[in-house]
Amino acid sequence: MKFLIEDVTVYFPYDHIYPEQYCYMIELKRTLDAKGHCLLEMPTGTGKTIALLSLITSYCLSKPQSPMKLIYCTRTVHEMEKTLAELKILHNYQIKHLGPQARILAIGLSSRKNLCVNPTVVAAENRDSVDAGCRKLTASWVRALASENPDVAMCEFFENYEKAASAAVLPPGVYTLQELRAFGKEKGWCPYFLARHMVQFANVVVYSYQYLLDPKVAGIISKEMQKESVVVFDEAHNIDNVCIEALSVSVRRKTLEGATWNLSRISQEIDRFKATDASILRAEYNRLVEGLALRGNLPITDNWLSNPALPDDILKEAVPGNIRRAEHFLHVLRRLVQYLSGRLDTENVEKESPVGFVASLSSHAGIDQKTLKFCYDRLHSLMLTLEITDTDEFLHIQTICDFATLVGTYGRGFSIIIEPFDERMPHIPDPVLQLSCHDASLAIKPVFDRFQSVLITSGTLSPIDLYPRLLNFHPVVSRSFTMSLTRDCICPMVLTRGSDQLPVSTKFDMRSDPGVVRNYGKLLLEMVSVVPDGIVCFFVSYSYMDGIINTWNDSGILKLVFIETQDVVETTLALDNYRRACDSGRGAVFFSVARGKVAEGIDFDRHYGRLVIMIGVPFQYTLSKILLARLEYLRDTFQIKEGDFLTFDALRQAAQCVGRVIRSKADYGMMIFADKRYSRHDKRSKLPSWILSHLQDANLNLSTDMALHIAREFLKKMAQPYDKTGSSDKKTLLSQEELEKLGDGSMHEMSY
Amino acid sequence: MNNGAGRRINGAAEEDDDEDDVNGDLDAWERTYTDERSWESLQEDESGMLRPIDNQALYHSQYRRRLRSLSSTAARIQKGLIRYLYIVIDLSRAASEMDFRPSRIAVIAKHVETFIREFFYQNPLSQVGIVTIKDGVAHCLTDIGGSPESHINALMKKLECSGDSSLQNALDLVDGYLNQIPSYGHREVLILYSALSTCDPGDIMDTIQKCRKSKIRCSVIGLAAEMFICKHLCQETGGTYSVALDESHFKELILEHAPPPPAIAEFAVANLIKMGFPQRAAEGSISICSCHKEAKVGAGYTCPRCKARACELPTECCVCGLTLVSSPHLARSYHHLFPIAPFDEVTSSHLNNPNCKLQRNCFGCQQSLLDPVFGLRKQTRACRCVPEVQTNATC
Repeated sequence: MKFLIEDVTVYFPYDHIYPEQYCYMIELKRTLDAKGHCLLEMPTGTGKTIALLSLITSYCLSKPQSPMKLIYCTRTVHEMEKTLAELKILHNYQIKHLGPQARILAIGLSSRKNLCVNPTVVAAENRDSVDAGCRKLTASWVRALASENPDVAMCEFFENYEKAASAAVLPPGVYTLQELRAFGKEKGWCPYFLARHMVQFANVVVYSYQYLLDPKVAGIISKEMQKESVVVFDEAHNIDNVCIEALSVSVRRKTLEGATWNLSRISQEIDRFKATDASILRAEYNRLVEGLALRGNLPITDNWLSNPALPDDILKEAVPGNIRRAEHFLHVLRRLVQYLSGRLDTENVEKESPVGFVASLSSHAGIDQKTLKFCYDRLHSLMLTLEITDTDEFLHIQTICDFATLVGTYGRGFSIIIEPFDERMPHIPDPVLQLSCHDASLAIKPVFDRFQSVLITSGTLSPIDLYPRLLNFHPVVSRSFTMSLTRDCICPMVLTRGSDQLPVSTKFDMRSDPGVVRNYGKLLLEMVSVVPDGIVCFFVSYSYMDGIINTWNDSGILKLVFIETQDVVETTLALDNYRRACDSGRGAVFFSVARGKVAEGIDFDRHYGRLVIMIGVPFQYTLSKILLARLEYLRDTFQIKEGDFLTFDALRQAAQCVGRVIRSKADYGMMIFADKRYSRHDKRSKLPSWILSHLQDANLNLSTDMALHIAREFLKKMAQPYDKTGSSDKKTLLSQEELEKLGDGSMHEMSY
Repeated sequence: MNNGAGRRINGAAEEDDDEDDVNGDLDAWERTYTDERSWESLQEDESGMLRPIDNQALYHSQYRRRLRSLSSTAARIQKGLIRYLYIVIDLSRAASEMDFRPSRIAVIAKHVETFIREFFYQNPLSQVGIVTIKDGVAHCLTDIGGSPESHINALMKKLECSGDSSLQNALDLVDGYLNQIPSYGHREVLILYSALSTCDPGDIMDTIQKCRKSKIRCSVIGLAAEMFICKHLCQETGGTYSVALDESHFKELILEHAPPPPAIAEFAVANLIKMGFPQRAAEGSISICSCHKEAKVGAGYTCPRCKARACELPTECCVCGLTLVSSPHLARSYHHLFPIAPFDEVTSSHLNNPNCKLQRNCFGCQQSLLDPVFGLRKQTRACRCVPEVQTNATC
């Protein structure tokens, strides 16, 4: 169907549209008109992605004089593929209606691991080794060597791509990663480098958050994106954490040992070069004296991760004299590693600001701030000079230089925390030195500054006014939409008491109370007897889950359960078996942890999750030094109260967990918040509005038996056949005519 | 709100009654409440307000549904009239739950009885068998046969529930039985499932595919909640899946299975079936009946081919295997194929029109259709009863 939103004709590939999608598009359109940033919350299963894509592409089509690029950021490769598949449907539809002028080029960009087609390279087990494997075959000096000596292995795909040179272009169309690989195979071109090249010309680019937020990656991938781009962060409820992680480094003893080993390897290399070809080292020295840019004129394959600091903060000047010579630089690094390992030997928890750290570093090891700042670039240059290709071996020394550069660059918004052991296991020494970033706005600031519009959207962004403060930007539109439903297909409940009327909670002083544990066990057990197929149960932490399952096991109240563990393979296997048990009618319970991998990325839709129980409020570990430091920073800088932030963070995790259960309107599911603290207004009000609007007052303070009764009734009601389009007074699917009839006025009641 | 207040007062009155033990002399206003039980016609809506149960809407939706089903049959859908139906009753632990009063199994038994009678009334040429699931094992309670009484008697004797439930075992068992029946018969399974899980020895998906291949139409009525595997089973085999809300809904659902379903297309080949129309034996004649192997006086039928004696119709002759029916049985089955055309609705204003040629009295009961005493009730009933072709009005 196609329809008009103000002056833009929107092409929408389906015959019907949900009213909230229509509202969403209106808000988007206004944002694009205003060339500002926006924040939109709409529940999952309402077709956010397609609404977004169809509006933005239609907007571009209606304004051919100002070409716009869409940069769509997703969290996982799986989501990337889904987005591209949707875009493909849309694109076909637009071509059908508009003809060839609607042609666009849309590609997904991912790491070599996902795009490589060279069978020998892609066989490696992790991302870093694939990257290194690729470099071994394609680095400029390897290829130079190969031209003389035919025995040196090269990647034929890359060679073909190089030979094709400017002829190597993708014809317009939508390419998923799979199709990109197929295309590359067919033509014999390397899909990774082809994609890297085409990113500049594509109308739509889909890639992961890191490509924009992590300055190391963004520096090489995204620096050529034009200003007239629309950046979309999908599923962005955790965007602040991504920003923080991009700028945080942690150093363990293993890292230091590895770094020492790396250093001796580098010094061997230097000696070897000195003996054979000292001119290369001299050339490098001269280049550094002149302060030439390290990057820029390098061939694409030699590109390495760029500086970890943000582009604006990098000094545009020559490398200081004391590290220009390779040996001197090695000495500096050795002293730095030694100093760090000295610091790690501490018995107490230490917390320091970067300024203090740099001061003590310069007094103890004689390394000043400016030297630190250049560590990363200097190492980069050195490794290129030494023609090192197995970069995956050198991750440790990279981490150290990363750390040095960040410490040297930033004085505010960071802190250095040294912990001699894990808080939870005080008897096992596991010293760790963390440089943690507290300010999420640092990493995302260049994105806001550079691009015309940034859209942040997710199913759970409540409370919506906190995000602009955390990320320090001013949205022109921030809005939360509810879901229009033909029937009440979600049933949230707050359970505060067990059957014996004693309150249940995972509050610290109550969690180990046998009565509470028993009540949680009873709750689960009773629910198992009334809910068919799959049940998902989220705990606040691994340790609590282990504890409670042990207790239940001792008292013999367990049934067929699958448990998420920290091991990815084991978890995948458990999930697989869980799905099988649900399919075959056996029914199963899946135990998982809030903030875990499952809570973030796995859907428990339809019969895979008829009920999700959230046991406890998933607060962060409040004694963690990093969290405390961050809270302090937030309070001082953004005036966000500690309690507010903690509750916000816990509730968005809880909402994320329970949101797993419903993925479309035809689906139904129940959600039980099992903790007495959820009944308090300050907690509850931070849940997303689409959950709140279904949370009836009667379901706010339930005991197990009452919840059981409600569950029974709900499941019976939901099992009845229903009319998908909704009855006349509660229209949830709009056809084109109905949409045209609809004035703007009535649409505004939908959102709030 | 009148009713709510009335209820409270009435409740108080009843308490008084208990104390004084004088049930006999209630005041007239009290009696209206105790007789009519008006609070039962109230229901609570989402916001907790009391509302009268919307019977009008209920009737209307039923009426619409009937119209729809009739218009679909008007297209002359082929229907399987000779049905071989197995009723699978889940007697697992879950069936003893008390959410239906007095217990699920009691409700199931009661309505299975009604269903079996209704089934034979509507499909006299069909046969039924009963299978029960208990302790994870499926048992054949009664073999497939045409006598409602024997099934009901057998079922009422065995109503203890225990253990888990296994859908696969039941399907395997039924599949084995139904594979033996002649090709013109339509194979059906109706599963009354109380449990929320199934504990199977193997892969149930294989069993479902097997049922699909042998063209068994599986329908499930759940008593608790929707289960994926049941839904999948019904989708694969062309059956219907429904979940009962309460007892009356359950009854409605189970009775929906009484009229024959449309035949599966690829299965619906026309077949000629040999049938015998036996004579009723003369009163007082003594002969040994072939079904019970007993000497009986009078009341029996003689097979036209081999002259063996059968007690009941319809049945299969024990000696020569001929299907024995009587002509009313055939006629009763026949009406599924050629149902009565839907009635036309005649409004009261139309009836009041002096030019109207239609009768103003019901053809059936001779009551006036315009009678104000019967008011709405009459009208709505008349709406559903006046056929297009008949000039006589009925109510």
